[in-house]
Amino acid sequence: MINPALNESTLTLASLAPAITEIALATGICAVLMFDVFAGRTWRYLTHGLTLVVLAICAWLTLSVGAVATRTVLFDGLYVADKLGVFLKLAALMATALCLFYSQHYLDRRRIHGGEYDILAMTALLGISVLISANNLLTVYLGVELLSLSLYALVAFDRDSGIAAEAAIKYFVLGAIASGALLYGMSMLYGLTGTLSLDKLALVSASHGAGFVIAVAFIVVAVAFKFGAVPFHMWVPDVYHGAPSSVALLIATAPKLASFALVMRLLVYGLGADPVLWVQMLTALAVLSLLLGNILAIAQTNIRRMLAYSAIANVGFILLGFVTADTAGYRAALSYTLVYVLTTLGSFGVLLLAARSDGEADELDDFKGLGTRDPLLALLMLGLMLSTAGVPPLVGFWAKLWIIQALLHTHHLGLAILAVLVSVIGAYYYLRVIWYMYFDAGREQTPIPRQAGTRLALGLNTLAVLALGLLPNVLLSLCERLIGAP
Amino acid sequence: MITLGHMLTLSAVLFALSVAGIFINRRNVLLLLMCIELMLLAANYNFIAFSRYLGNIDGQIFVFFILTVAAAESAIGLAILVVLFRERRSINVEDLNTLRG
Amino acid sequence: MLVEILFYSFATIVVLAGAGVIMARNPVHAALSLVLCFLTSAVLWMLIEAEFLAIVLVLVYVGAVMVLFLFVVMMLDINIEEMRRGFRRYVVPGAVITAMLVAEIVGVIVQRRLGLDVTRGAVPLPPGYSNATDLGIALFTRYAYAIEIAAMLLLVAIIAAISLTMRRRRGLKVQDIAAQVGVRASDRLRVVKMDAEPRQ
Repeated sequence: MINPALNESTLTLASLAPAITEIALATGICAVLMFDVFAGRTWRYLTHGLTLVVLAICAWLTLSVGAVATRTVLFDGLYVADKLGVFLKLAALMATALCLFYSQHYLDRRRIHGGEYDILAMTALLGISVLISANNLLTVYLGVELLSLSLYALVAFDRDSGIAAEAAIKYFVLGAIASGALLYGMSMLYGLTGTLSLDKLALVSASHGAGFVIAVAFIVVAVAFKFGAVPFHMWVPDVYHGAPSSVALLIATAPKLASFALVMRLLVYGLGADPVLWVQMLTALAVLSLLLGNILAIAQTNIRRMLAYSAIANVGFILLGFVTADTAGYRAALSYTLVYVLTTLGSFGVLLLAARSDGEADELDDFKGLGTRDPLLALLMLGLMLSTAGVPPLVGFWAKLWIIQALLHTHHLGLAILAVLVSVIGAYYYLRVIWYMYFDAGREQTPIPRQAGTRLALGLNTLAVLALGLLPNVLLSLCERLIGAP
Repeated sequence: MITLGHMLTLSAVLFALSVAGIFINRRNVLLLLMCIELMLLAANYNFIAFSRYLGNIDGQIFVFFILTVAAAESAIGLAILVVLFRERRSINVEDLNTLRG
Repeated sequence: MLVEILFYSFATIVVLAGAGVIMARNPVHAALSLVLCFLTSAVLWMLIEAEFLAIVLVLVYVGAVMVLFLFVVMMLDINIEEMRRGFRRYVVPGAVITAMLVAEIVGVIVQRRLGLDVTRGAVPLPPGYSNATDLGIALFTRYAYAIEIAAMLLLVAIIAAISLTMRRRRGLKVQDIAAQVGVRASDRLRVVKMDAEPRQ
């Protein structure tokens, strides 16, 4: 009697086509796992290549079979496929593949490469894509957990490093508390509206009452944690510093797309009928993240901690896009997220390649003299750092500009001024890296490994940053097509 | 009659206890994990109560999944704890101070 | 009336057991308090007729997760005295925060500002209603996708737990039974044919 009448006609094989990414990825995970288990010592080195092949196949299937023209809802409303989802999944697939490609050499050198590494990266990707397509509180929760659990394990993956385990346990405890808050908020939301479906929530959520405020507050806390926004940022520097650099690269890139999707699906769509409540909370988070992230980044001597605080500051910018609560702002947030992921892939990629002979590039001092030691890598890092700092011909500048424009359009003058000011502060520590590379003599003399393939990929990555900067309209029109007019 | 208010109050008390536990037991990771279990239990109470008082099975389905995920989560958490203990011979939070800044 | 007495007595036990978890001086006591908390919660869930989940809570939580916790507590051999140092320092702020949270949430519920009717009772169930059937039907039809994702989640837990904790130590001396049994005389003993040496 409690079960509503079942819709029996929907489930055919053809109707599953929009979910092809998840289906192919799950199948691929099982296939790679089986291969790794039974391959034996002689063939096991192929697991990594096989993973990349699986990711390529997933991307191809997503484009050919999974592309949808209009918003399609599957599995009795648990799953939604739309243009934004397809694009975000492609971006996440590409980011993960690049992460794995960049980190191959690093992992081999530190002897922590195993088949489980690739498999956990793929399950994290599956979590991301579940989250991107979530249309129900339950799928949001499962996606978040699938992503987080894979990442906890990856952070602790280097079992012989004490700091990796320390970072993992901190990440785990804080993450589990955030999940608890998310669940408590979701349970209140369910009780007040009587539904788990985001479609239905979007229609009824305009009800007021203290319960609703509590529910939204708990959910925003969890979202802020997943993003790593101040004051829920404590895990970010520790994880970037403690985890193996390749894992930090993975955490810094693809999951940001998932966090963007989380806000889009849960807050903008599900709770979109009454944005005032979460907009206020996000404003506070954004302002704190911008200030604290940029100021603390200056004090860091460890480059990975510096990049962590820079990540916090950039999350502040992304959140500013949502604060506007209009389509232009969401588009700006999307383009900022994409640009951030692209640039971070490059700068962490350089970091992985320039690692010291003992395997890690930690201190900012290690970058001293990179300009003479390896001119090509230094040139790439120069481009990437300038882009992150927001210097005009590069794409980072446009991303910041669009956010500020969106803020001005919605009369958030104070926030726009703050954004400009913190960008200026932020430029200081990015330029400091450049100063070290070109104008300081370094102690480190070990030659950097050649790795032609990785260098080519890094070069293309940086070239994309430059090209998008010269042709910003490509990115702009893309975002316009993905997030429709109101 | 057990009303919705009864169950919600109990759940709120449990939730508050778990938050207090997290504050009090900041030093011991193992107790922190137990406090988190308590927090999930509070959320489960809410879901079940709402499910029964709204006459809608979805909340109970959600609890089913929370139980599954929480089991997986504690398995991974305890595995990380074991790795940490092997490295440090301690799971005291105050010994976890290598990462600073 | 009986239901209310049962509710209040078990609710008291739940709250006391919960307090026991956070105040216990010994992790084993905390784990056992948590077990008590789960068991009494199962009774309360039975009282509001969510039988299937009540049983799952006992089987999965008490039966598996808490046993895992106890295993780890015993395995790690933690210095308890060390653990409890500074306990007092956090009790007062902890108690204050708890009191504030309770006051806030309960205040909201009691004052009925929650935005829904909190005085209503559970929806009565028809005769012959089966909680397990109802859940099962929903789980394997409308929530089939969620089941698949949960399956992947459990797979992640398995892979993660194994890859984190299984280690082969180098230089460790272990028996290889198969090799021992499979050994043949010819592997160990070499019979050399040689001519007898002449007596001197």
